[in-house]
Amino acid sequence: MSQLSNLLIPAVLFFGLGILARLIKSDLRFPPDLAKILSIYLLVSIGLHGGFELGKAEVGTALASILWALALGFLLPIAGFGLLIATRRVDALNAAAIAAHYGSVSAGTFLTAIAYLGNQGIEYERYPLIMLAVMESPAIVVGLLLATWSRGRVTSAQGGAPGSGGNGQVGEIVREAFTNGSVVLLIGSMLIGALASEKSVDALHPFTTDIFMGMLCLFLLEMGMEAGHRFGDFRRVGLVLGAFGLLMPLLGGTVGVLVGHFGLGFGVGGTTLVAVLGASASYIAVPPAMRLAIPEANPSFYLTLALGVTFPFNVVVGIPLYHRLAEAAVGTG
Amino acid sequence: MHRLFPEKLITVITSEVLEDRLVALVRNRGASGYTLLRARGAGSEGRQSGLLWFDSNLLLKVILPPERLTGLLDDFSALIAKGHHLTVFVSDVTVLAHEKFERPLAP
Repeated sequence: MSQLSNLLIPAVLFFGLGILARLIKSDLRFPPDLAKILSIYLLVSIGLHGGFELGKAEVGTALASILWALALGFLLPIAGFGLLIATRRVDALNAAAIAAHYGSVSAGTFLTAIAYLGNQGIEYERYPLIMLAVMESPAIVVGLLLATWSRGRVTSAQGGAPGSGGNGQVGEIVREAFTNGSVVLLIGSMLIGALASEKSVDALHPFTTDIFMGMLCLFLLEMGMEAGHRFGDFRRVGLVLGAFGLLMPLLGGTVGVLVGHFGLGFGVGGTTLVAVLGASASYIAVPPAMRLAIPEANPSFYLTLALGVTFPFNVVVGIPLYHRLAEAAVGTG
Repeated sequence: MHRLFPEKLITVITSEVLEDRLVALVRNRGASGYTLLRARGAGSEGRQSGLLWFDSNLLLKVILPPERLTGLLDDFSALIAKGHHLTVFVSDVTVLAHEKFERPLAP
């Protein structure tokens, strides 16, 4: 029962309401731009809040967090790519596009984990917030490289010269990966939070803190509806790929626990958050980048997996599970 | 009775992520202007709800003198050959004040 009560926080319940609304075919619909406005609010708010805390952080730990975040961002998609190729259910280009999503992160899952920890009264380090910003982009680059490599293999197998395929403008896409709107918002807000005086940040308290959980509830209601929609696409994805959508977050979450506690020395809260970063799959920064860079890949594969399988799994099962793993790691270490 | 002039109307429906590229192509081919709308719908690649950043389609309309049509269609064909999903159709239209469609787009 205590496991269940962990889930009885409004944010998660609203997520469930969103799914239910879709399943019963309710006519509930958000105005088209509301989800985007909510995403912008959440990124600015968490950025300001975290930046203020990080203004007082240790430089050494912050740098170590960035290095570990880069390592996770580069290595997790390669592991995912290998697993996907091993399933033999998708070609290499689809595998590259899906894997890129799993190396990047989901701010929605991260914020739900913060709500979960807050509900349990668990303190957490602020460094995972830097990692959230850092991990948005490297996986996009890895996805691109894997796709280029795969195209090269196909072309050489056919005896032709390597073509540029869908990513003739690699430089442009890499630049877009690192200047992506959500990265700019998050890093920019963190810098503003870190540079601003304490008094001026206090004036933002109603914006960054008081209404935060309510806004998160609305965001998760919308995401629940999106996830509910994606359930219908599950047949296209199939059981084996669906299993990847569950296995990959477990792998990423476990690696995240190891990095969070043994690599960075975080407590239960911080370790749980690093695990969530390792486990989550992007649905904001990576899908448009993959649409541009790997147009041959089928978007319904990566969107269904990231939004319809991994996101609900992490929100409902994953976060409490990573919390338990973090407790076990901190207990042993 | 007004005098009307024949032109070609190209309509493209595709993912919003291609907006910058399409606009650059339209500009390079010397079109006098374009109109963009956000679009929702469904097709063989699944539903485009228009609700999320990655999930919106755009509808692009460009009116061109017939002699400039082929170049732009070549560009769109090249995008399709790379794997992008574009729905492109061309209609015959007639316009008032055809000189408007001869002027290049403002930088």
